[in-house]
Amino acid sequence: MKNKLEKLRADFLQELGQVKNSEYLRELELKYLSRKGELSLIMGELKDLSVDLRREVGELANKIKVELQTRFEEVSRQLAEGSIKKELIDVTLPGETLADGHLSPITLVQNELEDLFNSLGFMILDGPELESDYYNFTALNMPPTHPARDMQDTFYLDHKNKEGQYDLVMRTQTSPVQIRSMQKYGAPLKAIIPGRCFRCEATDARHEHTFYQVEGIMIDKNINFSHLKSLLEIVGQRLFGAGTKLRMRPKFFPFVEPGNNGEYTCFLCQGKGCRVCKYTGWLEIVGAGLIHPDVLRAGGIDPEVYSGLAFGFGLNRLAMLKYNISDVRLFNSGDLKFLEQF
Amino acid sequence: MYISLNWLKDFVKIPTKIKPEEIAAGLTSHTVEVEGLVKQEEQYKQVVVGQVLEVNKHPNADRLRVTLVDVKKKKLTIVCGAPNVAVGQFVPVALVGANLPNGLEIKESEIRGVKSEGMICAEDELGLGKNHEGIIVLKENAKLGQLFADYLKANDIILEVDNKSLSNRPDLLSHYGLARELSAIFDSPLKPYEKFFNTKFTFLSAKENKLEIKVEDKKLCPRYTAVQIDNIKVLESPAWLKERLIAVGQRPINNIVDLTNYVMWECGQPLHAFDAAQVRKIVVRRATKGEVIETLDEKERILIESDLLITDGKKPLALAGIMGGRNSEINLATASLVLESANFLATSIRQTAQRLGLRTEASLRFEKSLDPNLTPLAVKRFLALLKETCPDLKIASALVDLNHAPDKKNEINLDLSWLNNKIGQAIPREQVVNSLKKLGFTIISDANEELKIAIPSWRATKDISTREDLAEEVLRLFGYDNIVSQLPVATLNLPELNKERLLERKIKNILSLKYALNEAYNYSFVGADQLKKLNIEFFNYLPLANPLSDLQTLLRQSLIPGLVSNVKTNQAKVDNLGFFELGSVFFNAPGNIRKDATTEDMLPYQEKHLGLVLAGGADLFGRLKGIINNLLQMLMSRATEVTFLPLEIIPGWADKRMAAQIMVGSKEIGTIALLDTVSANNSNIKKPSVLAEINFNVLMGLILASPSRLAHEASKYPSVIRDLAFVLDAKILYNDLKKELVEFNPLIKGIEIFDVYSGDKLPSDKKSLAFHVTFQSDDRTLTTGEVDKIQTDLVAQIVNKFEAQLRDF
Repeated sequence: MKNKLEKLRADFLQELGQVKNSEYLRELELKYLSRKGELSLIMGELKDLSVDLRREVGELANKIKVELQTRFEEVSRQLAEGSIKKELIDVTLPGETLADGHLSPITLVQNELEDLFNSLGFMILDGPELESDYYNFTALNMPPTHPARDMQDTFYLDHKNKEGQYDLVMRTQTSPVQIRSMQKYGAPLKAIIPGRCFRCEATDARHEHTFYQVEGIMIDKNINFSHLKSLLEIVGQRLFGAGTKLRMRPKFFPFVEPGNNGEYTCFLCQGKGCRVCKYTGWLEIVGAGLIHPDVLRAGGIDPEVYSGLAFGFGLNRLAMLKYNISDVRLFNSGDLKFLEQF
Repeated sequence: MYISLNWLKDFVKIPTKIKPEEIAAGLTSHTVEVEGLVKQEEQYKQVVVGQVLEVNKHPNADRLRVTLVDVKKKKLTIVCGAPNVAVGQFVPVALVGANLPNGLEIKESEIRGVKSEGMICAEDELGLGKNHEGIIVLKENAKLGQLFADYLKANDIILEVDNKSLSNRPDLLSHYGLARELSAIFDSPLKPYEKFFNTKFTFLSAKENKLEIKVEDKKLCPRYTAVQIDNIKVLESPAWLKERLIAVGQRPINNIVDLTNYVMWECGQPLHAFDAAQVRKIVVRRATKGEVIETLDEKERILIESDLLITDGKKPLALAGIMGGRNSEINLATASLVLESANFLATSIRQTAQRLGLRTEASLRFEKSLDPNLTPLAVKRFLALLKETCPDLKIASALVDLNHAPDKKNEINLDLSWLNNKIGQAIPREQVVNSLKKLGFTIISDANEELKIAIPSWRATKDISTREDLAEEVLRLFGYDNIVSQLPVATLNLPELNKERLLERKIKNILSLKYALNEAYNYSFVGADQLKKLNIEFFNYLPLANPLSDLQTLLRQSLIPGLVSNVKTNQAKVDNLGFFELGSVFFNAPGNIRKDATTEDMLPYQEKHLGLVLAGGADLFGRLKGIINNLLQMLMSRATEVTFLPLEIIPGWADKRMAAQIMVGSKEIGTIALLDTVSANNSNIKKPSVLAEINFNVLMGLILASPSRLAHEASKYPSVIRDLAFVLDAKILYNDLKKELVEFNPLIKGIEIFDVYSGDKLPSDKKSLAFHVTFQSDDRTLTTGEVDKIQTDLVAQIVNKFEAQLRDF
């Protein structure tokens, strides 16, 4: 028994010394070390020995087993290292090409704005894209005679009310949600409203009939113009950098009074003047104002008690500026070569 | 809109130290954006007066001439195409290096083989009109070599004002109105407009008057003022008049027409002059349906009842507030005219102008609600100016003035402490008072903190009616830049989470970042043709009343057509495509959102869908099912049961053999299918495409209702995996077999299909499904015998229930 073990040890070590490749090594493992290998067979015979002898031979067998396995692993490791050393590895080869997915730049900019306003405690609200004439216009201080209601600007649905007038529109702005949210939540209220809007105008590189806005409202007691100015300043600083300045000009919007637009220091040239800001150093980005009392009233809020501010950004314009996109039609084109860049 | 600085200076005295750029900036910051500022002399830099010395034939072109032109400093050879060029003429010559108002840059060039050292200019090239028939021939007073700007006396500065944003300010579509703003901005005196027509005119008395005027529709025409003037001569306008009109971009015609335009540009009131010989009397009435008028632009306009006409009782003379008629046009023989100065209802003018696609300087002003008080002022100003070119003019009628404009008393109380609260800082009282006065407001009383303020008529038509409107006046003149910013102090509160938006964002991130799909934003509109190609019924789709094109006439009810077009756009660019879209769809049925607060009417039903498409590549159906399965499990939990069942109603675009409904538990949330060959061919899709559409609102409901995710401890005991394959009828569905396997015994912890086979080795109506079946207990190690027993019973049940055979490997 002992002799058998010693012979097996010698045979194995001798054959191990001749191993040249991993196939041969595997054969050796099967022949000697596997479950049905020679070592197992011998150890299987142990049960036939007397108790004393079994202990003595058993110890030897285990010693040999550990030795053989250790030597086997050594050779196995050497073999593996040797094969790596043999071939030259070009580490500059690229990694595997993996498929990538991309979000629309509108989504990216919208997320950024949502996060900004969320951090200021604003709710994020949404409303129907197919709106009533009432919420889209009348409630926003745009009576039926307002020019913005002309057919050229608004997509109407082919549906007339009892008075024979078109009463359903594709919303031309996110502002109807102002009224809906005032009616739902009352005052005080802080919310932004991102969403898809529509204008019935021919498309070209700068005009798109389907576009995105984010607008914000803040209604509380004693909201005043200096609050609006300050809020727009910090928004600009977050969007375009700490040094960004705000410049406001009067501008008419029916749903605010006073109404203004806001221009920020051009973030590309830091106000020095460049192609993007048409060499003015300023970018017109935002429309804003104090919410018109009629609009508050339409939302069921008493303008004698509360006042509010409102502002709106064009998401397409923000995305175009941020990513240097020259054609607004790309957003809805589904063009992979465009999307792949985001 | 172009505004002449010289003209503004007729009315407001601006200190000379204030530069034109500062004037423009002042208007921009306080009133309206000035988009551009052009010095006329710079427009004509490098344009000089020259004299034509020779005109010769061009050797290589019959229509061209080769001229020799003296520009004093030298003599230039210039190739010229104008038929009217002749020896001896004084002409405007653009020298090499000139940048002309129409954008042309003059370079030395060769025209058909002959060198040309400049250009003799036509009207349009110098921005002096639209004429391109021939070159401009200058008057005798032109001096050889003189700068053309000097010849024109063009020393004006032109401001380009953004009139799009003036929809609430009819008073600013005029020089006087802007001069008034400047007087307030720069705190300079404004000359009263009355000073400009203080010439004495004697109108005939009512008895003597023979000019008969009748206004039938007083609502559409609140005020009509007119006068007949005899003994006039239609001439070329004097230089000063032409200069002013050229400065604002209005082409000079003759003294009469030019003066009507002049007064409009000056005070904002459009005027119209009729040839009195063609006007028996004037009746202002609505058109009859189908009535036709030929307008000055020589086009016939077909009218409807809501259009307003100026007629002579029978035939139309003018389209009220928009354009005059051909039949009563002023011509060289006109010796007597009727001058109209009227006020028309803004909405009526806008509707008519809109419908006819005819927008004029007059309609532009009327549709913004003009001040009715302007009409007599404009007549008087016209007469004062006409006297200069027609000194023998004779007033041949009374000043007929039919005024039905409502005489509103427009007063507002302005509480100064309210004002300061609204603005956020105190504006000095005298500054408030001064600003408002400068703008023409009258302070009726200023006792205590409350001012009583009368609104001037030119601001009262629809612009100013509340104290908020006054706050804007004070604020804009005080200057937005002078307001000290101050962040609002608010009570801290927890904003309500928008779970829908959070879910949208999560879905978008999973699909793009994990499954490498691209986010599409497709239009909400689809076309009949597009839907027909996909065999989608659209009789119940909501139509637009005013679609922009035939391709986008209906509101989408599915995201599938958009995704198909995404495949089409990109299929040539890459091998394998994947897109998703999350967007709204619209149905022709009442929804759950109110139309307005006062009715029970609901908006059409709208919901959001999630659409997905994979095109090109192997096993698209399986892959997309995998994506959907994982997406849903990520959104809910790993334990969420996502199954795909045969569809009962198969969409028109779907391949019947490969279409399934997507189920979460027992709830159907969407559809997945292969685009069928017919639809693919019709829509020009070259790659196999699998599409899926999930109802986002239903999904949202499921997620909100799903129990919160709880972790449980993994079993400490080993699992046993057995492989089982069954041969069964090809019609038997995986889903039914799986259900049987999973539910057979609680110790069966999971099954996983690893092979589906049908083919040579099996009868044609059979298939083989092979599973890894995992057995595991949470409280003990399972013995071989225990597992064997369950397996044997399981096989027996499957064999029995599905008439299946166990397949040997």
